[in-house]
Amino acid sequence: MTWFACELHTHTLHSDGRQTLGELAAGAAGLGFDVIALTDHNTMSGLVGKEEIEQEHGLTIIPGMEWTTFYGHMVTIGLSEFADWRQAGLDDIDQGIAEVHRLGGIAGLAHPFRIGSPACTGCFWEYKIDDWNAVDYIEVWSGTFPSIQTNNRRAFDLWTDKLNEGYRIAATSGRDWHEQKETDEPISVTYLEIDEETADGKKAGGSRTDSGSKETPAGNGSCAAEKARDTESEKNAADGFAASVSLEDRLIQALREGRASVTIGPLLTMKLNAGGESYRIGSVVPAAGQAEEHSGTTAAANELISVDLLLDFSVRAGLWSLPEQTFKLKLQSNLGEELSLDVPVPVSAEAEESASDHGGHIKTETQNQAQQMRLEAKLPHPTDKLSRKWLRAELWGHMRGVYVRIAFTNAIYFEYEEGATSR
Amino acid sequence: MKLLDTEGCVTPEESRTHIRIPFELGENCERLNLRFQYAPKKLENRERAIALLKESYDLYILPEHREYAAEHTDRHLPLNNLITVSLDDARGYRGACHRHDPLQELFLSRQEASPGLMAGELTAGSWSVTLSLHCIVTEICDYRLQIWASEKEESA
Ligand SMILES: [Zn+2]
Ligand SMILES: [Zn+2]
Repeated sequence: MTWFACELHTHTLHSDGRQTLGELAAGAAGLGFDVIALTDHNTMSGLVGKEEIEQEHGLTIIPGMEWTTFYGHMVTIGLSEFADWRQAGLDDIDQGIAEVHRLGGIAGLAHPFRIGSPACTGCFWEYKIDDWNAVDYIEVWSGTFPSIQTNNRRAFDLWTDKLNEGYRIAATSGRDWHEQKETDEPISVTYLEIDEETADGKKAGGSRTDSGSKETPAGNGSCAAEKARDTESEKNAADGFAASVSLEDRLIQALREGRASVTIGPLLTMKLNAGGESYRIGSVVPAAGQAEEHSGTTAAANELISVDLLLDFSVRAGLWSLPEQTFKLKLQSNLGEELSLDVPVPVSAEAEESASDHGGHIKTETQNQAQQMRLEAKLPHPTDKLSRKWLRAELWGHMRGVYVRIAFTNAIYFEYEEGATSR
Repeated sequence: MKLLDTEGCVTPEESRTHIRIPFELGENCERLNLRFQYAPKKLENRERAIALLKESYDLYILPEHREYAAEHTDRHLPLNNLITVSLDDARGYRGACHRHDPLQELFLSRQEASPGLMAGELTAGSWSVTLSLHCIVTEICDYRLQIWASEKEESA
């Protein structure tokens, strides 16, 4: 599995940016990105010449457009055709999202809590969303050094609230990048995970990051989209052109399924092992009964589960830095903070074992001069009647003198009883 | 050949509305030219601007941060009118020019177009310009839209 470094919110002089697509691509490549999405305001005309620019800079450019409307900005990516942004009234953004989906794209709330008109016209999200299931992602981190901003904290909390309500929504960062201007502020990256075995449809240059694990998760959930894709690749294989889905489409699929991890520093990923199966970010752990039905294994969701956490400090080498410190690695869910581990960097010993006060078991392993750090945690049973709906990992630490969230994964979901909401 | 020359006047009450301006394009147009301007751009009345900002802070900023925001209104000043142009031909969307310039001189041809607009066939038929009034902060704001076709490539 491979993680691609993406910048998902950008502008050129085709709207109010002050850069050409070539200048943007050069800047993005220089910052270690493998992928950018061009999301000009209300136009897709900036994509002219995209292929040559992709080749020149070894970068993949995803077509997109930022719906820049009166009641909110909505980033839409992965669609090659225009979806009309002008008809959306306060109550009918759902139709707009449906149209984006019909054209093969996905839609996300852009900087939902940025101040609105007249300071920044339409920037605050005011649309009433009827069906949050239709929302593909929320841009919870906007701009540079996003984790210190109040607006982003509100967006992050909105995401968490929706996860708690049972919706399965991805979370991203976007710089809302308008010009090539030097900044010494930390830059956020959204990593999207693509399957190695199928990532040969199109070549992309750059320094994609191998998560170091080759095994294919056997039961990665009950996502309908996943099944649809499997069926499609079977069909393609039968037609004699297996895996012809473009990298662009795979990246969109990855975000649609929530295979994303966001960071201003090291890449944080996790894998969960329950009932003999392995689950990656974005996948769904079936409820105990279902697991038995489907695979004959026992009580997946209610058994003790182990979480493999991987911190990769080698990504975008030389392009970011963090002071030496003891980080906090947290496992967060609808049940609250389930686990908090101290992660000293650099570590003094090659391997280190300790037990957390929560009863979690931690095993730390470092490789390649502490470039990668692997931690294993055992999650305790939920202690009361509450069931776990989702789980994410977060890295906290000091950056520029502030204690902030440095990285977070998207969620792994759990099928749960009573009024379950699913896509 | 002149296709359209229209003027109008809008007020803050018309913020968050569109004005659709249809026009007919004849045969053999090699280059379509548009000139759009509006004025004033800025709200010069500082008191009024601060009052508008404070109203918006009540909507968009958490109660505990409003006082700080009210003391730092300069970061959001001056306030500006924003009207953007988008264009449709008989078959569909031909792009938008979402930028802040109060004077925009735009063109389209088969091969080329101003940034934001899409080059391509200039098919005869019903076209329209949509003016999107994202925000009008001045008491009145005047606009003028001129459209003309040229048979040969020439500078606008
Ligand atoms: Zn925006
Ligand atoms: Zn933007």
